[in-house]
Amino acid sequence: MQHKPPQYADRLLRLFLAPHRREEVLGDLHEEFAWQVRNAGKRRARWRYWLDVLGFLKPWAIRRPEHEENRTVFSTTNFLSPAMLRNYFRTAWRNLLKNRFYSLINMSGLTIGLAVGILILLWVQDELSFDRFHQQASQIYKLENWAGTGSSRQIWTSTVAPIAEMGKQELPDIREAVRTSYNGMYNLFKYKDKSIVEENTMFTDPTLFSVFDFPLIAGNSASPFPDDHSIVLTETTAKRYFGDENPIGKVLVSDENTAFKVSGIIRDMPENSSMQADIMLPLSLMFTRTYQANTGGKNQHNDFSQFNYNTYFLLQPNASVAALTDKLRTIHLRNKPDDTDLTYLLQPLPDIHLYHADGTEAGIGSVRMFGIIALLILTIACINYVNLSTARAMLRSKEVSMRKIVGAAREQLFMQFVVETGLLFFVATILALSLMYALLPVFNQLSGKHLVLTLSNIRIWELIGLTIFGTLLASSIYPAILLSSFDPLKALKGKISSRVSEALFRKILVVVQFSVSVILIASTFIISNQLHYIQSKELGYDKAHVFGLFMRDNMAKHFEAVKASLLNQPGVAAVTRASANIIRLEGQSGDNEWDGKEKGETMFVRPVAIDKDFIPFFKMQLTEGRNFAGTPADSLHFILNETAVKRARIKNPIGKSFRLWNRRGTIVGVVKDFHFASMRQKIEPAVFFYQPGDMRSLYVKTTSNNAQQAIAAAENVYKQYNADYAFTYTFLDASFDNLYKSERQTGLLFNIFAGIAILISCLGLFGLATYTAQVRTREIGVRKVLGSSISGIIQLLVKDFVKLVVIAIVIAVPVAWYSMSQWLEAFAYRITIEWWIFALSGLLALSIALITISVQSIKAALMNPVKSLRPE
Amino acid sequence: MKRTYLGEFEEIVLLTVAVLEVERQAYGVAITHEIIEQTGRSVRLNQIHAALERLEEKGMVKSEMGEPTAERGGRRKRLFSVTGYGRLTLQDIQEVRVSFWNRILHPVKPVETQQLASPLG
Repeated sequence: MQHKPPQYADRLLRLFLAPHRREEVLGDLHEEFAWQVRNAGKRRARWRYWLDVLGFLKPWAIRRPEHEENRTVFSTTNFLSPAMLRNYFRTAWRNLLKNRFYSLINMSGLTIGLAVGILILLWVQDELSFDRFHQQASQIYKLENWAGTGSSRQIWTSTVAPIAEMGKQELPDIREAVRTSYNGMYNLFKYKDKSIVEENTMFTDPTLFSVFDFPLIAGNSASPFPDDHSIVLTETTAKRYFGDENPIGKVLVSDENTAFKVSGIIRDMPENSSMQADIMLPLSLMFTRTYQANTGGKNQHNDFSQFNYNTYFLLQPNASVAALTDKLRTIHLRNKPDDTDLTYLLQPLPDIHLYHADGTEAGIGSVRMFGIIALLILTIACINYVNLSTARAMLRSKEVSMRKIVGAAREQLFMQFVVETGLLFFVATILALSLMYALLPVFNQLSGKHLVLTLSNIRIWELIGLTIFGTLLASSIYPAILLSSFDPLKALKGKISSRVSEALFRKILVVVQFSVSVILIASTFIISNQLHYIQSKELGYDKAHVFGLFMRDNMAKHFEAVKASLLNQPGVAAVTRASANIIRLEGQSGDNEWDGKEKGETMFVRPVAIDKDFIPFFKMQLTEGRNFAGTPADSLHFILNETAVKRARIKNPIGKSFRLWNRRGTIVGVVKDFHFASMRQKIEPAVFFYQPGDMRSLYVKTTSNNAQQAIAAAENVYKQYNADYAFTYTFLDASFDNLYKSERQTGLLFNIFAGIAILISCLGLFGLATYTAQVRTREIGVRKVLGSSISGIIQLLVKDFVKLVVIAIVIAVPVAWYSMSQWLEAFAYRITIEWWIFALSGLLALSIALITISVQSIKAALMNPVKSLRPE
Repeated sequence: MKRTYLGEFEEIVLLTVAVLEVERQAYGVAITHEIIEQTGRSVRLNQIHAALERLEEKGMVKSEMGEPTAERGGRRKRLFSVTGYGRLTLQDIQEVRVSFWNRILHPVKPVETQQLASPLG
């Protein structure tokens, strides 16, 4: 034999062919090969050989025989064979239809649980994804600093300008630096007949476009800003002005007739970017504008007193962050030795959205809270399923036993129940997805996100798939194992229902469900109480019927005329002005001094310029001294709030000297503390000073019924001075409400989630109660025949469940108390948690459970015993 | 009478087995060559094996291992033989065919045809 068949073909055949056919098939193939070589030649023979081998790639030839010991006359079909698969689906479908009631309860619980759970998880996913889309995200850090001493110590998220360039020059670990800054100079942009007031604009270094993933899609990437009057727009913004025209080289005219030439276009910043801007202007322009006037030799390279810049560093991959912050501090102190209270912090870019720079929690708290809630809701839905199907299992034990006796193997039964669960889940999934589509607009509104369920976003579908798969796994395995494990003989005799462990297991699950519900109900109560408390707490000033608006240059210059004409209008009760929004004072200064200030001590104060009628206008109280009189001498007078006096340890403050910036003067009054920030914060030191040129916030007090007229009058006056700008105003009540927007959102979401949790739990309880009544039909019949009263029977049925709910309450109270205490910690002003809140939530859960159960129990108790006993 | 269904190809294979088993030559390669020779069809080895497998499942053939040869790399042949049930089935098929052929060769008289057709008219 000089010719051998192709070895690889033989090897392939050995791989797939069932071993017991190997000898005969290989033998035949080789014999055929020899024949072909003789008759058709070697080449054709090899070719044929390959074809013949591949011809055996058929199911019948591949299938291995059953093991000898299993190969009996009554051998079972493989549990994955097509016939069995078809059978699983058929029986599963029949079973779901036969028990419509239970299928419906199961399905609605699952649908609601999945839809809501997934929606929350999508929100969580979106929150966690912030700023991670930048390719260099892991090497980008934001520079922030600790400032102040004692109780004034706090983190400033913005830094001085020169530290960025000095750091980059001196420290090799810093590869690149990016600074951005708020743009308050150019707001109105015009192109031909379009003029738009832009809200989202910033100054930035050109390195922004290369360090972050905001590359120019049009324009010259090598120099995004060719000169100081270049401007970079996002795609959408460019469309707004130029439509489909090519935006590059077009000119936008802004305030003070400054012309900007469009030099670049970037894609819109993604929603999950913590940096958001539509228009970017060169930072060098800001420097030119800031330092063009005489600033005493200060410029962008040496001014270590203006903390106006967000600074980002791109670091070397293995740079030591701790060492770097120390080196940066050294550089800072070398240039400004008296900033001894300053320490630098570097925060990784992906952490910015959810953490403070020192690593304490910011948004991550709510992300974690909602993540847990999502899991809890999914758990409740799973528990429902497990409980109902294991309970129903008792009724199906006979079916299972019959199947076993006629020869069903355990894995076949297991598969049958898995398929049944799978089918139910499949329908529930489809329903849940449609429910999600329907709920998405509402959810987006509640959560302030713009989530879209597009097919193209793989991450969303991954999450949905994983959630559904996890839920399916969690809820199908236990029932499937339990059901397939019945001992047929015992089950047929009806012994099965006396197994203690399963009933106990089910009871534990009910307790878990109701614990979660009670926790959520109690939390809802506490959150809404706290919200009510902070919104109705005495603020220290009267904001009723007051609206405010921002005066631009022209209008501010003519304030006295504006005031006079407004006071003539019906509906206007009083007019005043200040330099800031009283609801939320922003801006702090540590540049101050008083008698008795210690060396190295820094107290941050909130400086506000106010008009002479500001304090009476808002009905604030002076505890000592007097108000400003409006005389030129007042420009050297200060009014401090009580906290400032206390913090500075000034005794008998009236007449004592005080310095703010370069303004040295005396304290003439002390104003009673008032809340100028969210109740999350303690009242901080504030200083009123008098500087008529610096007050741009106009406040108008209206009489309650003529508010509309007053607004119209204000608009008239506004348009007189600023025809180009849209008139916007806010009632202080509304901007006050805005302070607590996120708290109210949380409160509302908690309400909804608690409602859903209790709804799903009740669905499950309802199903269980129905089942119990069904199982005990005969017992009830016998009891009635023997003279038991209806109320006695109801008690009998209800007692078990009530016991479980009570245990759940006992478990839930400490958990709810602990977690809510944590939540309240974040508020400087908060309610104390009182016992009645828990009593009320417990009572509520109990009564809802009672109502749910009693419907079924009463029905069972009223049943005619003749009917229930007849089947015997 | 309802017998296990036998496909046309299976029938040919079964017949070939019946022919070759006399010389103890009823195994894969020989059957394949015999069928190619007798019918002129292009038959592949795996088709024969599949058919034999089905026939064995239906109980129409049985098999035993034969002697090894050098050409087969020292592997044994699987020799098939027709079972009684297989023979019976072949005979049945043959009888049915013969009865049809008889009717083709001795057709029904025209008068009878008319009688048969009239209810349809």
